[in-house]
Amino acid sequence: MSDTKRPPARRRWLELRKPVSRTQAILSGILIWTLFFAVWEGVSLAGLVNDLLVPAPHEVLATLGDMLANRGLVSDILISVWRVVFSFSIACAVAIPLGIAMGAFPSVEAVFNPFVSAWRYLPAPSFIPILLMWFGTGETPKIALLIIGVIFFLITLIMDHTRQVRAELVETGLTLGAGRWTIVRTIIFPAVMPNILTAMRQMLAVTWTYLVIAEIVASTTGIGAMMMRARRFLHTDEIMAGIIVIGILGLGFDILFRMLHRWLFPYTQERGS
Amino acid sequence: MTDATTTGAAPAKLVIERVSKRFPMKGGREILAIEEASFTVEENEICVILGPSGCGKSTVLRMIAGLETPTTGALRLDGSAIAGPDRERGMVFQAYTSFDWLSVRGNVEYGMRINGVPKDERRERAQRYIDLVHLAGFEDAYPAQLSGGMKQRVAIARTLANDPALLLMDEPFGALDAETRWHMQELLVAIAEAANTTTVMVTHDIEEAIFLGDRIVFMSAHPGRVHRIITPEFKKGRRYASKEAVLDLPGYSALEKEIMGLMREQGGKDQH
Repeated sequence: MSDTKRPPARRRWLELRKPVSRTQAILSGILIWTLFFAVWEGVSLAGLVNDLLVPAPHEVLATLGDMLANRGLVSDILISVWRVVFSFSIACAVAIPLGIAMGAFPSVEAVFNPFVSAWRYLPAPSFIPILLMWFGTGETPKIALLIIGVIFFLITLIMDHTRQVRAELVETGLTLGAGRWTIVRTIIFPAVMPNILTAMRQMLAVTWTYLVIAEIVASTTGIGAMMMRARRFLHTDEIMAGIIVIGILGLGFDILFRMLHRWLFPYTQERGS
Repeated sequence: MTDATTTGAAPAKLVIERVSKRFPMKGGREILAIEEASFTVEENEICVILGPSGCGKSTVLRMIAGLETPTTGALRLDGSAIAGPDRERGMVFQAYTSFDWLSVRGNVEYGMRINGVPKDERRERAQRYIDLVHLAGFEDAYPAQLSGGMKQRVAIARTLANDPALLLMDEPFGALDAETRWHMQELLVAIAEAANTTTVMVTHDIEEAIFLGDRIVFMSAHPGRVHRIITPEFKKGRRYASKEAVLDLPGYSALEKEIMGLMREQGGKDQH
């Protein structure tokens, strides 16, 4: 073995397309957020902005803690989460079987696709007035809006993923003696499932968007309604606390889906990772 | 072309009789992909379909599998007409077809599972074929953890464990690197000997065709025709376990050059 030491390659901070280490990635992420809150805090302390419109971050966090502990924010959160989970479950219960059927059988696609793809171009919030007329102000119009907002995109995504299941997999099944339904059940479905879960993760984020719209426009409960109430009393800190809660919930569900993906489909992980 | 459907007493295992295939094109026109192809495959034979690109060799194989239907002509396996795909004719593709969500054992058991083979028998037969393709120790591995050559061995074991009358292979080693490729070719000879398979394989690799083929069906392009049926006489009806042994035989180079000449002459008409 030779003893000559090569000088350690100097690692520049700006390296073209070199992956960064996990530690560096985490530190960089923390850095940018710290910077954001530091600037915000600094601007507030220095009195550069109107305290009524832009409260300092520590005040927002204090308000958030108080709302969680004493002012019933938890029940608003629970009702919002329930609305999202309930309507998203209904959307999935329809979209998954229909999307797979459309992707697997062109005759089914020929029937439903002209219908589904047209609906995608109708903005869901434009249905709010008519939903209120039909269903009043209860839970139904909110659930309906959330479903309308995601179901057609979800169907299309699942159909596309199903169509992309490679022909050779299906033909392998055929030459092993599998019939149509066996192929849908034992090849197409398991092959497309990981992609369906990813599509669900993406569309769940969109469901949160429609939730806030529904709660702001026509609700007395939920996080969105709480924020609209706060606006009336110029409680900017409460509005910001609401935004933070929604962000954390969205992130939480996203992480949940990623974990679910890793747990359900461990085989999609590449060798050595 | 001579009628090869009745050679002596026993009819051939697989008979392809004056098969033509036309594909519709845009504007109502049709393209003649295969014209009046005829050949037979005997029990336990390795029959290699070889030819330049565009000769329709994969289409012929797909018609044997039942994945395409001939426009005219007939295909018969053990005397009965081929109508659609079934487990009698198992296919291995060039693209990897491992079921990623199943372990190696799950993949090899798949055909038996959907065809209702009882669990104990399934286990036992799967293990036999896993051993045969040298994947013992990898039973619980998932395809994402396997190399390309291993994935193709899973596909071969999966097809054979389902006990088909014919093993069909469409350039099964085409995506593999050169070294893995000749290991796989030698493995295929060993499998054919051990499992008594009747194999029809498509390739464009001349060396592979001569090493593996008990018989070579050479096809020419535009339209695809059976140009010549070649029996590598120099192998004297034997199979060899190693590739070098065949490359060293007198007569190998002559046949290789002859087929290269055919490739030049019959292919490439519309290329460059």
